[in-house]
Amino acid sequence: MRAGTAWLVLALLLTGCARQADTSAPAPGPAQAATGRLGQLLADPGGRGFARALEPRELVFPRDHGPHHEFRHEWWYFTGHLRAPGGERFGFELTFFRFALAPPEFPEPGGAVRSAWRTREIYSAHFAITDLGQREFRFAESYARGALGLAGAQVSPLRVWVDDASLETRADGRWRLHARSPDDELTLDLQARQRPVLNGDRGFSRKSTATGAASYYYSMPRLEARGHLVRRREGAVASERFELDGLVWLDREWGSGALGAEQAGWDWFALQLDDGSTLMFYALRRRDGRRDAFSAGTWVDRAGHSRSLGGEDVLIEVTDHWESPRGGRYPARWRLAVPELALELEISPELADQELETTPRYWEGAVTVRGSHRGARTAGQGYVELVGYAR
Amino acid sequence: MTGILLAASLRYLLRHPVQLALALAGLALGVATIVATDVAAASAGRAFALSMEAVNGAATHQIVGGPAGLDEALYVRLRTRELPAAVAERPAMAPVVEGYVRVGGQTLQLLGIDPFAEPALRRRSGSGTSQTRRGDVERLQRWLLEPGAVTMSARTASGLGLEAGRHFVLEVGGHAVRAMLLDTIDGGPGGIDTLLLTDIAQAQEWLGLIGRLSRIDLRVPAAERAARALEWLRAQLPPGAELRETQGSDAQNREMTAAFTTNLQAMSLLALLVGVFLIYGAVSFAVVQRRRTIGILRALGVTRTAIVWMVLAEAAALGLVGVAAGLVLGQTLAHELVALVSRTINDLYFVVTVNATVLPAATVAKALVAGLGAAVLAAALPAFEAAASAPQLGLRRTSLETRARALSKWLAVAGGVLMLLAGLVVLASGRSLPAGFLALFLLLLGIAAVAPACLEALARAVARLAAPWSLTMRLACGDIAASLSRTGVAVAALAMAIAAMIGVAVMVGSFRESLRTWLEASLRADVYVSAPGPGFSRPERRLEPGVIDLLVHRPEVVAYSASRRVSVDSPGAGPVSLEAWQLTAAARTGVQLVAGDPVRLWPAFARGALIVSEPLAWRLGLSVGDGLVLLTAEGPRRFEVAAISREYGNDRGAAYVDREVYRRLWHDEALTSLGLYLHGDAAAEDVLPRLRAAVAGHQSLLMRSNAQLRTLSLRIFERTFVITRVLYWLAAGVAAIGLLSALLAWELERSRELAMLRALGMTPAGTGLLVELQTVFMGLAALLAALPAGLLTAVVLIDVINRRAFGWQIDFHLRAGQIGEALTVSLAAALAAGLYPAWRAAHALLAREMRVE
Repeated sequence: MRAGTAWLVLALLLTGCARQADTSAPAPGPAQAATGRLGQLLADPGGRGFARALEPRELVFPRDHGPHHEFRHEWWYFTGHLRAPGGERFGFELTFFRFALAPPEFPEPGGAVRSAWRTREIYSAHFAITDLGQREFRFAESYARGALGLAGAQVSPLRVWVDDASLETRADGRWRLHARSPDDELTLDLQARQRPVLNGDRGFSRKSTATGAASYYYSMPRLEARGHLVRRREGAVASERFELDGLVWLDREWGSGALGAEQAGWDWFALQLDDGSTLMFYALRRRDGRRDAFSAGTWVDRAGHSRSLGGEDVLIEVTDHWESPRGGRYPARWRLAVPELALELEISPELADQELETTPRYWEGAVTVRGSHRGARTAGQGYVELVGYAR
Repeated sequence: MTGILLAASLRYLLRHPVQLALALAGLALGVATIVATDVAAASAGRAFALSMEAVNGAATHQIVGGPAGLDEALYVRLRTRELPAAVAERPAMAPVVEGYVRVGGQTLQLLGIDPFAEPALRRRSGSGTSQTRRGDVERLQRWLLEPGAVTMSARTASGLGLEAGRHFVLEVGGHAVRAMLLDTIDGGPGGIDTLLLTDIAQAQEWLGLIGRLSRIDLRVPAAERAARALEWLRAQLPPGAELRETQGSDAQNREMTAAFTTNLQAMSLLALLVGVFLIYGAVSFAVVQRRRTIGILRALGVTRTAIVWMVLAEAAALGLVGVAAGLVLGQTLAHELVALVSRTINDLYFVVTVNATVLPAATVAKALVAGLGAAVLAAALPAFEAAASAPQLGLRRTSLETRARALSKWLAVAGGVLMLLAGLVVLASGRSLPAGFLALFLLLLGIAAVAPACLEALARAVARLAAPWSLTMRLACGDIAASLSRTGVAVAALAMAIAAMIGVAVMVGSFRESLRTWLEASLRADVYVSAPGPGFSRPERRLEPGVIDLLVHRPEVVAYSASRRVSVDSPGAGPVSLEAWQLTAAARTGVQLVAGDPVRLWPAFARGALIVSEPLAWRLGLSVGDGLVLLTAEGPRRFEVAAISREYGNDRGAAYVDREVYRRLWHDEALTSLGLYLHGDAAAEDVLPRLRAAVAGHQSLLMRSNAQLRTLSLRIFERTFVITRVLYWLAAGVAAIGLLSALLAWELERSRELAMLRALGMTPAGTGLLVELQTVFMGLAALLAALPAGLLTAVVLIDVINRRAFGWQIDFHLRAGQIGEALTVSLAAALAAGLYPAWRAAHALLAREMRVE
């Protein structure tokens, strides 16, 4: 669940405007009335002019793996746990965001001569490595406009990229993920063994009572991954290369709505159990601290049959907290139970500090899971995303 | 004892306020000139550094292309192409599209940036902190989607009377476009005040640079990692693109300010030198006047050392007050100078706005050293003189004058040696500009040193000649010769100032004449058309192809020449102005060669050889047959220098290349200006309105007739020399005050003598006339000494200073008017300086003055 993650991109600052000066320029006030259609666009946070997720529609693959430019925002969210033959373990997150500043038919500025830099879409990528051997969390963030080939998304063949972070389709049909930061370079080939899992009502996921406050949302919870990581640690003379394999989770979501005003953030769980079953659940938090009624999830059993879960189906108890040195108090250990499935899980972060100091800050981290399912002991791994806690 | 001495000093000074004021004024003026020059130069330099900083940001390196810029695909490649394993980190990079625009009469640098690339340039990934703020999304939407969206500093906006959210008109490359001020940037260094920021897409569209980038800014981390990253970057560059360090281009640009700074500083030294004479006059007079007091003090047992210290302390105190006044005055003066300096920079160098003055600490120190040093140095001689005299001798002036006459002879010899030395310095120093200035000062000092002896000789001669006819004349001149310690110094200062004035006037006049001749010869077309915009060789000054067609196909136009003016890099030599010429036969005859074969030149030119203008040839040490490497769009290329031409338009000089060759090697089709040749019977003044009407609505152009362009060029020339003029009038003012103070001192000193003359039957008017005669005579004597010296100074200024500073050769032109001006100034200064002493002499109270007897 990342319906609200759009504001990650929204928050992009024009900090580059004054390279030396602190751009503490005031936010545009009412005096700065924008003109014409831009004015209408700005006045309407609901995303008028964009296509909106209003009802279930048939999701078709591979078409829906590709971009949906008519919607305001969209993301390809990869997380996973990787293991090297030598026993080294890594968690990773690689996310591509697409965000449209205006609907496709919005007239762009520029007259008869039009610069190729003109765009109404911007892209962002987040790349994080949880290095369990070094007990270290490293991340990088990049932005680019959807122009000139600096960033973009296409369906055939599937390709999504921001600078040199990319999701591409290989000649053999497998997907290749690639990203690099000053410290890490990750290359992974992904193989799907299951059909995509449609969350909510056949992939239609409502986030609040407001019209259009919904998205299309599917997951690929068990992508088999094989590849390598090159680690160049600051000060280290040579780089180290780790051959890796593991299990990756893809979350795909697109829409045009935003969080409701009463919604403060969310806790998202994506858990892969060793017996082959998976659980996705997002708990929307209201400003008053209670769980929002639109919280939901999906259970997929080892045979690949999925089942939707309502907010009331899942009980979560926070058993520990972590104070971010950058400000904010995050939950840091959970007891999660789904009585209907006779599922009881203990979820613990692999590292306490897996906070991305991006715009804005959020916690997205590798977790381990242990507990019981229908009386039998079970274990697993996963990722948890915590948004709205940073202060 | 010291207390008594100090009290004596103080009382003396306070009882002679006019003298005190004069000495202070002279000192303050000298110091003020130094301070003003320094402040103006420092302010201009700082404004420049700040704009470089604001423009370059935290970039450590830049990739630059030729005049046509870089292909934007290069940037995409650098960002997205897979890095080899050896390169750990992709350097942070940001594209920039820049140019100059005008808003409400003010020139701003338009900086087109990509806000998505900028933050990476400024901080490492993962280490930055940022807070989401309300309105940020809206800002981004406006930045990317609002037509004409720009932002600027709050200071600039309020200066232009613009408010956030308002539309305004921007002039860019001859077009008026609509811009919208999104918001303003608060605070920050002054450098951002000259910037207008917009999205890179908008900048490309406005500047007509679709598909091009002005440069790519890079931040390569400083480590061994960097070497590999730079290597990789270099390997990606197409021919014609260059990777260079940001500091390098800074240094090159700073070098541009050096030339005019040197000139200003030389002028201020001149003023101080005159000021030193002034102080000498004032202090030595103060000593002389107290000869009696000093004699009594000595008789009372005060040691020589104590006397020396008293005089020196007095001078130092005077010096301090003078420095303080000079600092204040200098700051005020600097405001005027700064305006002049920034105009000069804008005309000749680059566009920069100097809107704050800075007083560097070094300048304060310099003023202190100069002011105090000058005062103490000037007082040293009189101090030792006073102390050296035997107790009773101090009461008699004649002994001093005897010594002064002896001294003047030695001084004359020293002066001759100084002038010889000046000649030697010129011969031995090759191309060094500071040595040129040294020679100039040696020359001027020499003139000053010779002046007293000349004065004495002249005065004696005239006294002897006039004796049979006029007693007054004989008296006047004999007196001058007899009071050499007073008159000699005043005349020396005046002579030096007048010599400098004549030198500068003749140099400026010669320069103007040479420029006029050059303009007449080289401006052959009837009408000149160019794309408007600031900056001498900015690539965005581009005539639109449609407009060119319209103009050259007009029925009045029979032929045209065309040129493209850009700045290209010469590896190792920095930016070079390059003009691509497509010339008519007539225009070719207008190229005035100082070296090279005019017959073989043009075929060689068509094959790719260069014509290099004198300033550039001098700066880079080029002669005919040498090679000059320029960075073309196809990589560095060596060009042969086929000829060297005259040029006064640009003190950095320029290289000229055939337009076809330029087009081929730089891939640039644009033109900066056209020269239109009209039908024999069409007058430019009549055709101009028609041409303007023809292009109306297309591009607003600078369109001038031959005559207008010539007038304009001369006007710019005059403006360039305004600073010089201001300073030389200042120097003349200092000299006049010096003369006045010397005369006044002299007059006070011989008041008894004058009273005696009155007692012997001379009328008050006669006494006044005597004093006036004497001062006019001194003025004339100064002029006589200054005339040959001034011409010599002019020669040094033209053939040594100008040649070494700029490389151009100026033909020596002398007009009677220039001598007349010097005559007028020296006589007027003498007359004016003599008025008050004459009036005093005429109105002196006989009894009081005589009572001493």
